[in-house]
Amino acid sequence: MTIETSLFGTITIDKDKIINFQDGIIGFPELKRFTFMVDEDNSDSKKVFWLQSLDETDFAMPVVDPFAIFEEYNPVVEDEWFKSLGEHTEEDLLVFLTMVVPEDITKMTVNQKAPLIINTKTNQACQIIIEGEEYKIHCPVYDLLKSRNQKAGE
Amino acid sequence: MLALSRRKGESLILDNNIEVTILEIRGEQVKIGINAPKDVMVYRKELYDQVGEANKAAIQSKGLKNKKMLNG
Repeated sequence: MTIETSLFGTITIDKDKIINFQDGIIGFPELKRFTFMVDEDNSDSKKVFWLQSLDETDFAMPVVDPFAIFEEYNPVVEDEWFKSLGEHTEEDLLVFLTMVVPEDITKMTVNQKAPLIINTKTNQACQIIIEGEEYKIHCPVYDLLKSRNQKAGE
Repeated sequence: MLALSRRKGESLILDNNIEVTILEIRGEQVKIGINAPKDVMVYRKELYDQVGEANKAAIQSKGLKNKKMLNG
């Protein structure tokens, strides 16, 4: 299918690249169909993916693999929460965190408390909320990313 | 919105398999018990709304989007 996007212009994607959030994204229950775009322009952000809505041209959220930032990310979850995503093994599930990158990028944060879970076998997805104080909705990551990149450079 | 009155100890059944019970009433605070299958998600609304706001902020992400728009 071909769609218009604000950020990426006109894009054409195969049906198998459509990710279906059955209950939408939290705050946007009506937006269910999405696809992943990779940010290729900016080499700094090679690990940043964008979740682009297929129904709303302006809707694109930067998302990131938690393990690209944190040594550990082990929220307690129940298997039942992912039943609606269809058959899967643990390896089939991909986890992404949403990112907020304000104009002052040193204030960038990720949402550890509401990860996006995608079943790569069925392309069904959901956003869940993790209870507990350990994980934050606005977790600052600029310094973490910087030191990780420095370490990688060494 | 459906509004029903319940006393302490009384319950509601939602969707044939979710039970919501008023456990305790103490002044302004009500303790609510929820019996539901494990795949039913129950969240405090403030938390849910905070996540909605965070999602909205993620879409803004001017730090990334402005750069992208400039790069064309």
